[in-house]
Amino acid sequence: MNNKLISFHEVSKIFKVGDENFTALRDINLEIKTGSFMSFVGPSGSGKTTLLNLIGGLDVPTSGDIFFKDIKLSSLSRNMMAKYRRENIGFIFQTYNLLPVYSVYENILLPLLLNGLKENTVRERVIDIVSKVGLLDQIKKKPSQLSGGQCQRVAIARALVKDPLLILADEPTANLDSKNSLQILELMKELNQQYKAAVVFSTHDEKVTRYIDREIGLEDGKIIFDK
Amino acid sequence: MIVFLFRGIFRDKSRFLFPISIVTIGVALVVALVGFMEGVFMGMIDMTANLDTGHLRLVNKPFYDEEHLRPLDRSLAAQKETLKWLEHNTNSDITWAPRIRWGALLDVPDVNGNTKSQTPVVGMALDFKSSDSFEIKRLHLVESLLKGKLPLGKNEMVIGNQLAHSLKVSLGQSVTLLGQSFDGGLVADNYTIVGFIKFGVTTMDKKMVLIDLIDAQNTFYMDDTVTDWLGYFPSSFNFTNYVDVKNKINFNLNTWIKTPPKDWAKDDIPITLSILDQQNIGSMVKTFTLIKSFVVGIFTFLMMLVLWNAGVLSGIHRYGEMGLRLAFGESHWKLIFTLGIEGLFIGILGSIVGCIIGGTFTWYLQEIGLNMGDAFSKSGLMINDVVRARLTLDGFIQGIIPGIFSSVTGTLIASLAIFKRSEANLFRELEAG
Repeated sequence: MNNKLISFHEVSKIFKVGDENFTALRDINLEIKTGSFMSFVGPSGSGKTTLLNLIGGLDVPTSGDIFFKDIKLSSLSRNMMAKYRRENIGFIFQTYNLLPVYSVYENILLPLLLNGLKENTVRERVIDIVSKVGLLDQIKKKPSQLSGGQCQRVAIARALVKDPLLILADEPTANLDSKNSLQILELMKELNQQYKAAVVFSTHDEKVTRYIDREIGLEDGKIIFDK
Repeated sequence: MIVFLFRGIFRDKSRFLFPISIVTIGVALVVALVGFMEGVFMGMIDMTANLDTGHLRLVNKPFYDEEHLRPLDRSLAAQKETLKWLEHNTNSDITWAPRIRWGALLDVPDVNGNTKSQTPVVGMALDFKSSDSFEIKRLHLVESLLKGKLPLGKNEMVIGNQLAHSLKVSLGQSVTLLGQSFDGGLVADNYTIVGFIKFGVTTMDKKMVLIDLIDAQNTFYMDDTVTDWLGYFPSSFNFTNYVDVKNKINFNLNTWIKTPPKDWAKDDIPITLSILDQQNIGSMVKTFTLIKSFVVGIFTFLMMLVLWNAGVLSGIHRYGEMGLRLAFGESHWKLIFTLGIEGLFIGILGSIVGCIIGGTFTWYLQEIGLNMGDAFSKSGLMINDVVRARLTLDGFIQGIIPGIFSSVTGTLIASLAIFKRSEANLFRELEAG
């Protein structure tokens, strides 16, 4: 069975910075399998976020091809790319990016509404995932009433609720203390096994590496190890 | 999704109160301003129509050509026949009122019968006594009577309160009118002052005398003759249609003139004028309409500018939300569409509140009015001292449409930035918080 979710073929990404060209990624070849739990590690400017951008369909490579299953991402129109993200990708950010005017329940509901689902058909699903991230008693609270760890749990639930094939998490533990970081990583690992969504981190937090199945090291836009 | 977004709008006062307030203030100002302008202007038009020009006016052309001289000898005879013709040959919803415009010297004698004071007056004779006459109601004479009663007996008159004051006359005072008769002779007839009227128009309060039509016909030897027939439409009839009706009557008149009543002089040529043809009102209406459009246009433009900026501020405030929605896969078009819907909603809500506030203010000014008698005291305009606004459907429409338009347009212009926003930077932007 072919469980290849994302594949990179000789992918390079060059940014124009003023008159200069900056190569963020060089000739990357990479495969991400369904349900994997992996991370990109490396110093700032090594190309981690650019890789996440390309996987998430937020940017296109300067050269090379990226495939989602058998679909070549660079051939998709802007709207099709949006549909790809909407249906397949969940995002978790370092700064949570919860909408402050909405409750925990409503923040998690948002991706489902963007997918065209009606609130009354998905209410149970949202409550179920809130319960899985352990925030059922906080469901009506606003983000400002939650701790950092709780906010990241909401962000995880928000990423998972639409049942995506892939979750991209950019430094999800960077704003959390050790205890909360570990709790979040344990939760993500548990949900990864439960939901079978591939989780790709970008991080330089060593704690993360203890939980992941695969670690890809980046430096100057090149893969320096894959273990 | 829309319901979800509205929940957010209501909870986030910064993105709700400011634009709603702008639309509310703008719409309220437009509704009140249009209502006030409409009230002042249409009040002036109505006043002029009621007192002087009618909505339509049938007059003998030779009289009209020398109207400033009040040439009673050029009046139009065959009053009864003319009324019959008007009733059969013009719109049934026009009410026709016969009038005599006259000018004379008003002489006030002392106890010995010598002249105590004397002044030229402008007179209008109208039908006070017929049971089917609307003139008293039309001119609001009962409400305008300061002292005394209306001239319902023989040879009675009411005069403007300022005229009464300057002549130092009292109620019951006998005065003499000295003027020119229909056939060019000198007339002198005694009248009793039975009431003081406040027309609310300074020029009239200083000069105007009202007497009954039959009395005037007797005084000036004008049996079955009047100077004017004033036609009045119901208030629902828009003045833009006056010209068509006038043309139709003039067309019929041309036929009638070929077989005129026997009492008409050979050179009598009755013509119909609309109020727009008289006293430069036509061009004033055009100017007024232009100014009104200009005012509404300026308000719309200003509202749009402010709402555009409000949209930009809201966009900055909601930068994270927009980025998140784009990252989560909402298309740019859909995002802008939902913003447009938000703008529409804010526009509608602001317009409703604005209409209530502006409408209440306009209603207050309509019912209570604003006394500007001092400001108008030196003015020759036929304008009521108490200026009243006018609450009209048009006024609301002229407030609501710009309110909604500016809200939606302002939001859409502001949201153009979303179109330029590159997804490639979203991660970086969202990480920056």
